Amino acid sequence: MRPEHRERARIEAATRVVDRYVASLRPPEEVGLEALVSDTLYHERRRLERERNDPRAAEDHAFYQKVQRRLRHASARDLRELLDQIALRFASEIVGNFDDRVYKLSTTVIPTGLSVLLTAMSPGKLGSLGSLRGGLAEHVQIQGEVDHVRKLLDAGTLVVVPTHSSHLDSIVLGYAVHLMGLPPLLYGAGLNLFNNPVTSFFMNNLGAYRVDRKKSAAIYKDVLKEFATVALELDYNNLFFPGGTRSRSGAVEQKLKRGLLGTGVRAYVGNLQSNRDKPNLFVVPCTISYKLGLEAETLIDDHLKEVGKNRYIIEDDEFSRPRQVLNFLSNLVSLDSRVVITFSRPLDVVGNYVDEDGQSLDPRGRVVDPASYVCQDGEPVHDHQRDEEYTNELSRAIAREFLRDNVAMSTHVVGHALLEMIRRENPDMDLYRLLRTGGRAPSVTLGELARESERVVGALRRSPRGPRLSDELGRDPEQVVDDALRAFGTYHAHPAAVRRGERVFHEDRNLLLYYANRLKGYDLSSASAASTASAGGAAA
Amino acid sequence: MTTDTTVGVIGAGNWGTTLAKVLGENGKRTLLWARREDLCREINETRQNSQYLPGFTLPSSIEATHDLERICRGASLILAVVPSHTMRETARELGNYLTGEHVVVHATKGIEQGSFKRMSEVLREETCLRKIGVISGPNLAKELAARQPTGTLVASRYDEVFQRTHRALHNDYFRVYQGRDVVGAEVGGGFKNIIALAAGVAAGLGLGDNTKALLLTRGLSEMARFGAAMGAEVLTFGGMAGMGDLIATCSSPLSRNHQVGARLAKGEKLEDIQREMRMVAEGVKMAKAAHDFAVKKKLDLPIVAAVYRLLYEHHEVPLLLKELMSIPAGPEFAALSP
Repeated sequence: MRPEHRERARIEAATRVVDRYVASLRPPEEVGLEALVSDTLYHERRRLERERNDPRAAEDHAFYQKVQRRLRHASARDLRELLDQIALRFASEIVGNFDDRVYKLSTTVIPTGLSVLLTAMSPGKLGSLGSLRGGLAEHVQIQGEVDHVRKLLDAGTLVVVPTHSSHLDSIVLGYAVHLMGLPPLLYGAGLNLFNNPVTSFFMNNLGAYRVDRKKSAAIYKDVLKEFATVALELDYNNLFFPGGTRSRSGAVEQKLKRGLLGTGVRAYVGNLQSNRDKPNLFVVPCTISYKLGLEAETLIDDHLKEVGKNRYIIEDDEFSRPRQVLNFLSNLVSLDSRVVITFSRPLDVVGNYVDEDGQSLDPRGRVVDPASYVCQDGEPVHDHQRDEEYTNELSRAIAREFLRDNVAMSTHVVGHALLEMIRRENPDMDLYRLLRTGGRAPSVTLGELARESERVVGALRRSPRGPRLSDELGRDPEQVVDDALRAFGTYHAHPAAVRRGERVFHEDRNLLLYYANRLKGYDLSSASAASTASAGGAAA
Repeated sequence: MTTDTTVGVIGAGNWGTTLAKVLGENGKRTLLWARREDLCREINETRQNSQYLPGFTLPSSIEATHDLERICRGASLILAVVPSHTMRETARELGNYLTGEHVVVHATKGIEQGSFKRMSEVLREETCLRKIGVISGPNLAKELAARQPTGTLVASRYDEVFQRTHRALHNDYFRVYQGRDVVGAEVGGGFKNIIALAAGVAAGLGLGDNTKALLLTRGLSEMARFGAAMGAEVLTFGGMAGMGDLIATCSSPLSRNHQVGARLAKGEKLEDIQREMRMVAEGVKMAKAAHDFAVKKKLDLPIVAAVYRLLYEHHEVPLLLKELMSIPAGPEFAALSP
């Protein structure tokens, strides 16, 4: 973000939020204003109590003490000023210390750096910078509506909304966007990623703004959303993870968070109201599919332990251990496996498909003017309730595209098949007991597993809702099983399943569930029972 | 908010004409679409719709037309009141002229045969619309046309849809309530026709009010089970679009579905009845759709099954009644418990 835009976004986000609050207050104004400031104080103090050891907490603490002191004898004018200060403080933190020169440099250097990182594990591929890029490109497969997305860049602003299963996602996607020749995407990254030894460099220097998920004050969340809205209005292509956090269960996200997603329609109305030359926003669903999950063990454990109340932030997972990340990347290269990034058909802000010229299309392919959705008597207007429903429509459309363009891989199919076989063998056992004990038999025959896997692949091929199938699923069923077992055996501390002789032993059933859940949402008839018992699906 | 000085009504059957009459009496210029030109002519020249709403004079503010494009250009609030089996075709044609600004509220009872799609889903699939609503309640057309007090439910996910429809329709004899459960309102309005048909059979057999009450309450239970399976909120069925509509339709000999049931009980053939009635009895189609859905979803809906067998498998009424009464009776709300 350019410095002048950064300052504009900071001021604009804070001012709009406070203005909206003030406009919604009933007289006497000071009562409502005091309630807003007090509510923020309450939430921030609770947070600071939990973060006593954080060096940044002392500064915050001093600030809120001052606020508290002024609050006691504040007039309506003072209260408004306090609210302005709080909002601006939040906005400043979100924008962060962003150096434009570093940013420009890093957009050139980082992709190369990432290439080095990824190819370092494969010494044969080290060489000139050009060949390094080629090396990485071999392992990041980009497919789908790539040309379509590229064309839309000339017609408006992009909002890329990917599935989220790993902290690697934003880095890998950033790299993919670079390979596609698109400008970097602006995105909100959790503060934990700025503190993480692996990612801090990327976060500080790529287009990331800061999101502190520990801040629960309503005004903070509103400033954050407004910042994203202003950034879109300033024509910065954005990246949101609409699932909100990494999928704990391994399933493709189907319940999406509306918060940041809703900024699309807000920004669109803003663009129309200010007569922007190219007001359109294009929402690009994108699935990121891995054969192996870098953080799979932690995520599925968290999912099973805390069903319904997942930890929103995990700071001690595999991603915080550089050796583990290198190990994962090394396997990615040596297994000749790929991260597959699929760009789905782009949508407008109410969920219609758009064509390559950026025109919205109705379900019958007829051109629709997207402005008509937000106009009353011909004028574009904000309408909170209407726009929330539009965002619901959009999130349903994104969820549909996620299912359609998710890429099923051998680990998902074999995980699903094996878990289903165990479940059939133990019909009287509930899922949690089954995962813990493994049921009556520790293994199945290779032949049976191959047949079940073939059946799952067949059901996936027939499924009208997707997914896409990776190339390896076109091989013989035995080869599919081999491929999955080889992948399971190379990265995880305890492989999900191993082959001994002509039998396959299920060693870590939680991991099997994690991989099997990637096929949740498709009609796999009888094979679906085990994996769909994932109790809660994707974490919110 | 948009001022709807002109409102469109698609469909000049008895319910569409009645709603147009209410709009006209509320001072709205109303463009009423009829497929047939001769019907348009009759309405415009005589202020009568002698075929579908005989005996009522229509306000001069109603203009009948068979030009869909003109209606879509002239009105951004449109009521769609066509039979369920023609909704897809009509919606597809409407879709040529609609924009995202349009609000369309349908008043069609029933779900699509085969696909089990609700009318709002059909509208969504065939047009660019987002702001869709449904109107459903104890609304017998002739009573409303005669300005007898009643109420209805307008359900939509969009507040604007309710607000604009309310402003257009609500008056001192027609109360318009708000709901958000579109699925419930659509299911209630369609499903009640099956129970009305069964109530007609009971009346035709000369059975009394106890029987009718049993049929209504167990019918309501089946409606709630069916609705829940389609994603509705069970509470909706206790309101205007559930219980309200059920009582009105099952009590009134004016109801077409009731009439079909009564005549079947007297031994007439369905084909003959349908040929004579020039209007569509939605319960006949709905019974098949609901039965097929229940089979697919393994739902236990005994009244629906009995009506289906009466209509489509030509079972005898006394035998069906005997079968229904021999079903073991357990806890009243068992099938609705989580």
